[in-house]
Amino acid sequence: MEKKNLIQIMTEKAVAVGTIVHEISSVSDALQYAVDLNKEKNLKTLACPGLDSEDQDRLLDLCNSANLDLLEEPLRNQASSIDTSLTWVNYGIADTGTLMLASDSEEIRIATMLAKIHIAMLPVSKIRLDTGSIEAALNDILKKDSASYTAFITGPSRTADIERVLAIGVHGPVELHLLLIKDMQP
Amino acid sequence: MIKTAQDMKSYKKKIRQALGDSFLRSALDEFNTAYRENRPNVYKDIDFNSLRDIIAENKDSLIPFLEVLFEEFRLNAQKAGAIVHRAKDARQANEIIARIAKENKVKKIIKSKSMTAEETFLNDYLEKQGFIVTETDLGEWIIQLKHEGPSHMVMPAIHLSRYQVGELFEKQTDLKVDAQNIDKLVKVARRELRPRFLEADMGITGANFAIADSGTLGMVTNEGNMRLTTTLPRVHVALVGFDKLVSDLGSALRILKLLPRNATGQAITSYVTWIKGANQSLNTPFGKKEMHVVFLDNGRLSLSKDPLFCTSLRCIRCGACANVCPIYSKVGGHRYGHVYIGAIGLILTLFFHGKDNDRAIVRNCINCQACKEVCPVSIDLPHLIKKTYARVIKEEGKTPVKNFLLAKVMKNRKLFHFILRSAYLAQQPLSKGRPLIRHLPAFLEKDHGFRSLPTIAKIPLRDLWQTLSPKLENPSLRIALFAGCAMDFIYPDHGKDLLKLLKKANIQVDFPLDQTCCGLPAMMAAEEKTAKELAVKNIQAFEAESYDYILTLCASCASHLTHNYEKIFREAKEPAMDLKLFTDKIIDFSSFMDRVYKFPQTDQNMNKQVTYHAPCHLCRGLHVTDEPRALIQKAGYTYVPSKDEDVCCGFGGSYSVDFPEISSEILKKKLDNVEASGADILVTDCPGCVMQLSGGLDKRQSHIKVLHLVELLANKK
Repeated sequence: MEKKNLIQIMTEKAVAVGTIVHEISSVSDALQYAVDLNKEKNLKTLACPGLDSEDQDRLLDLCNSANLDLLEEPLRNQASSIDTSLTWVNYGIADTGTLMLASDSEEIRIATMLAKIHIAMLPVSKIRLDTGSIEAALNDILKKDSASYTAFITGPSRTADIERVLAIGVHGPVELHLLLIKDMQP
Repeated sequence: MIKTAQDMKSYKKKIRQALGDSFLRSALDEFNTAYRENRPNVYKDIDFNSLRDIIAENKDSLIPFLEVLFEEFRLNAQKAGAIVHRAKDARQANEIIARIAKENKVKKIIKSKSMTAEETFLNDYLEKQGFIVTETDLGEWIIQLKHEGPSHMVMPAIHLSRYQVGELFEKQTDLKVDAQNIDKLVKVARRELRPRFLEADMGITGANFAIADSGTLGMVTNEGNMRLTTTLPRVHVALVGFDKLVSDLGSALRILKLLPRNATGQAITSYVTWIKGANQSLNTPFGKKEMHVVFLDNGRLSLSKDPLFCTSLRCIRCGACANVCPIYSKVGGHRYGHVYIGAIGLILTLFFHGKDNDRAIVRNCINCQACKEVCPVSIDLPHLIKKTYARVIKEEGKTPVKNFLLAKVMKNRKLFHFILRSAYLAQQPLSKGRPLIRHLPAFLEKDHGFRSLPTIAKIPLRDLWQTLSPKLENPSLRIALFAGCAMDFIYPDHGKDLLKLLKKANIQVDFPLDQTCCGLPAMMAAEEKTAKELAVKNIQAFEAESYDYILTLCASCASHLTHNYEKIFREAKEPAMDLKLFTDKIIDFSSFMDRVYKFPQTDQNMNKQVTYHAPCHLCRGLHVTDEPRALIQKAGYTYVPSKDEDVCCGFGGSYSVDFPEISSEILKKKLDNVEASGADILVTDCPGCVMQLSGGLDKRQSHIKVLHLVELLANKK
């Protein structure tokens, strides 16, 4: 019951800040979603840092048959040509519709910052109610002696710097898609 | 380069220019209203007041230990590969950052928004050293192109229209820009700035939090430029004020609940980023970034030891104190701060940028308390502004004429009252027997003619008292009246109305004749010694133990007596005899009539529509809001709300004389809203507001009558 509520809250709050949310049933569906979205928007390239090699291979097959370019790492040299990025995120924070993404890897940072569209995959089991409920997990990261770069992402990039009029996609992604994957276990 | 007026004459000139800027005026007026109207929605799931008190308390517990927190931060950040510096002032901070740039053979620098870097004028310094610096926050980029400082701490280019931005972009790109379309303007920035990110050698950011127990920086942003600034270049330098140190993640997350809500009305910003140490960077030989954190003192550590001003270090730079300020909404940030804007700017300017830059702006506070009400860390901003002004006067080493006169006159009640009585005679040629002076002599009319002025009564209330107030046998309550100067000398009729009401309820009212001005005008002029002497005199004049209540019909007096007397003696470290006995008995008119008098609901329908103006010192000073509106309805009138009822009327005592050009603009908006309500009568419960509002409506020759609530209630039957 509580899980259902969390999904509902997460969806409602994420949609309210402009995130496009879908519930899907598997990673395969997510890969297909990414490819279809790129085709629909007439985009050319995809990046998928952090996906395991099996999923990368499947995505490569899908890209090949759809005539899309799956970018190889390092992405830094192709920074100007990333249309869409597909990544996992670590947690969902329901009451603000926020995604938590451990982005220590430069590939993940570049992919999620420079892409026009960021598609985030999140197992529904990783949705928490509020920042208080991920505080311990975040602190575990921060308390390590190693460097870390952790992002809370809530909707697409936005600004209201000109006449206080909201405009989307000033420097970061113009669209943020959240795919809630139902059957994933933690 | 920022040029803030350093004397009143040039300050006034700048104010007049701003008041003539029609885009600025409408943009900021709309913003002020929209921000306040949106707040209940933003805070519907959060208890703002209790959370801000918790945050303030937490900050206060850390402020004495900023150096300890710094050491803890340094150790933890260094373990993760960051290099941590401390700079004692702006110059040293800039030098450290330039040195880092040189050592790393940096040519091009990109920046994300940082008020701390604005504070040190970092860009100017780096550009002089030959670096190419590009601001990447949209607003900051715009003002960089315009060679201006920010006019708001969160929205730095709020003073510019899309067309002005379009012009700047056309000049920059040599391309035609569709300025009508803001989305397209934003895309110009995306297109133009993207290559700059990719080319830059070094990125400079600020930070919202420096978390000591992990050595992590927290950054709260919306555009995504900060993420690029901290990722693409091989060197990252964060410039952070010592005041951004918090002990742990929990403290930062708590502030994060209020910061975006208070700043931009968002539950959270698009991006909140936690960066610790030297992260991966694939364009460096070792695969890691060069990461530096520069902590700026620039007066913060000595502020942290100041018993009064240490609370200014609680500030989290949300900008809300400007958003709700009626003066900011008229003159804009370039006239309402130096680098830091809004109420907090009037304070911090003295400590970070010196008295010359604060001298004029610090005087421009009307004490309406709107900023204090929305401050997410409960800083008593209006009070600190006056204390800052007192410091400026002290540092200048010469007493302003106004303070000299205030001290001379106010400390001597008989002299003060003699002057007021003489004014009755002096004004006769101008008033021509009317209760209002509509036209002033020509040399005053231009600046001060925006409202008719009330006349001094022929016989003040204190002289009428003996004949008016008979002793009652077995009264139900014993009340002492604190008349306040306005009721005593301008509106004695309000006193007659009060007596009429109270006699009906068998309430004995006394008028202690040694009472004098409450002292608020002295405090507003930072004439602290006089304010204290007046407080002592009043406490002595009222034998508080003999009365059930000390009633005043002036909201400003009520709020001053209730809150400021306590502050005056606490700050002077002089315990005042009977202070608490005195202040505990103070009650404002609306509260008294509603809660104590229990004014009855009438069956009569008065067939008049009444709107209300909430005096600043009643609705915010004493948090009395429901009572006056309930009383209007109990008296048989139809209450019709008008827009922005709780926004200042622009009076502010001598503020309206010192800054008539701003006072008149605030009044204009107020009266436009009052007229739009369709009311026949405008009621308020402060004689100062009555003066301002009736003067303004008289000048407009409006049919709307202005009444003090006591007049409405007394004349009901």
